[in-house]
Amino acid sequence: MTYIENVLVCIAAPLFITMLCVGRKYRASFVFCFAGMLVCLLSAYLNTFFTIIYQADTMNAATQIAPVVEEIMKLLPLLFFLIVFEPDLQRFRLAAMLAAASFATFENICYLAENGAGHMLLLLIRGFGTGAMHVVCGSAYSEGLRFVWHDRLLRSVCIPGILCVTIIYHAIYNLLVSVGGSVQVIGYCVPLFTLAVGYGVYQFARGRQQRN
Amino acid sequence: MVHLIEFWDYLVQFLVCAAGCTGAVKTFTQNRRQPYFLLACFFGTYGLGTLYWTLHVLLLDTTPQVFYVSELGWIASYIFLLTMEMTLPSARELRFRTKWSWLAPAICLPQFALYIMYGDIFFNVLMCMGTMEAARLSIRGLVFARRCGSRDADKTETRGLRAFHINVLCFTALEYALWTSSCFWVSDDLRNPYFWFDFMLSGAIFGMLPATRKAVRA
Repeated sequence: MTYIENVLVCIAAPLFITMLCVGRKYRASFVFCFAGMLVCLLSAYLNTFFTIIYQADTMNAATQIAPVVEEIMKLLPLLFFLIVFEPDLQRFRLAAMLAAASFATFENICYLAENGAGHMLLLLIRGFGTGAMHVVCGSAYSEGLRFVWHDRLLRSVCIPGILCVTIIYHAIYNLLVSVGGSVQVIGYCVPLFTLAVGYGVYQFARGRQQRN
Repeated sequence: MVHLIEFWDYLVQFLVCAAGCTGAVKTFTQNRRQPYFLLACFFGTYGLGTLYWTLHVLLLDTTPQVFYVSELGWIASYIFLLTMEMTLPSARELRFRTKWSWLAPAICLPQFALYIMYGDIFFNVLMCMGTMEAARLSIRGLVFARRCGSRDADKTETRGLRAFHINVLCFTALEYALWTSSCFWVSDDLRNPYFWFDFMLSGAIFGMLPATRKAVRA
């Protein structure tokens, strides 16, 4: 049994002290780090709860329950930030990235606590794969909403749409990773490939915009 | 075991969505018009839903046991399609009312009643609501184009949008035909009309790209 609440306390305590010591303008960043880790913890509880309710095996839980629970939970702090504080796009983008990255970090730490840190290569691939997957899902909100940011109605329509996209993307990743063998390696590479393609499209669009 | 026809059906649909998404993203990077972004999202979400379903059936040899995650992708694609239907027409068209719009609920609601006898209520409510509203808006658009498109000034605009509305209506009709056929036929060969509707649906999905281009240009 892994006491992940204790792990969270161990990681959050030094960050909390640091947050108190640094300037006010950096505090929001720390808050989103805590939020990311906290929703990861809550997602773990909810995953277990729904797995028992639906009497699902490990594969069904990983490919159908976990993506839905984790992505909805990850969206909640961002939604709160968006509705209550009405930030500009830059701040929202930073918040989405930090929440996603801290979620991935905490998930990796829990994986280490449960499975040990003996296989360096696997951990390296897994660390980059999972990290990239959560960052892709996090940046889907900021990059997806960028084009409809000025229009509130469109923004509120696009958020559930993007949530569905992130859930399916996460589910495909979990499906590939859970199968094992060479498919698992392909699964770990998919988010890195997505990031590379996204970066390529972004640079292409930017270059075209500058030429015009 | 995944049957060959089923595999080709999903593969064709995924490739069509991927091609459509690439085309929409390319057009969007060229002229930064919002409808192309929504169209790219439509293709992307529909394609992701199909990809998940294909991979699940292919790798695990079974359909999802807890709930159909891919349906979320298809619902998201209806949301984006509906957004396009709400943002592309002119203000005059948006204000336009016609009794013919009632055709959409008159046809879709009995079908919905049939689907909930076979499947999940929550997802059917979302999917039927999305497609029914898209059908309603496209019927309204077609009636508007017929009534107001006779004047020279409106001709180009309504003609461009008419192609888009026809495409959305075909897409919705094929979706309903697909769902209805899946209630009565279960075989995995070409005699099952499901596959024919699905192949035609892939065509209707791809038709969204030229139809949207025409509508945006108008």
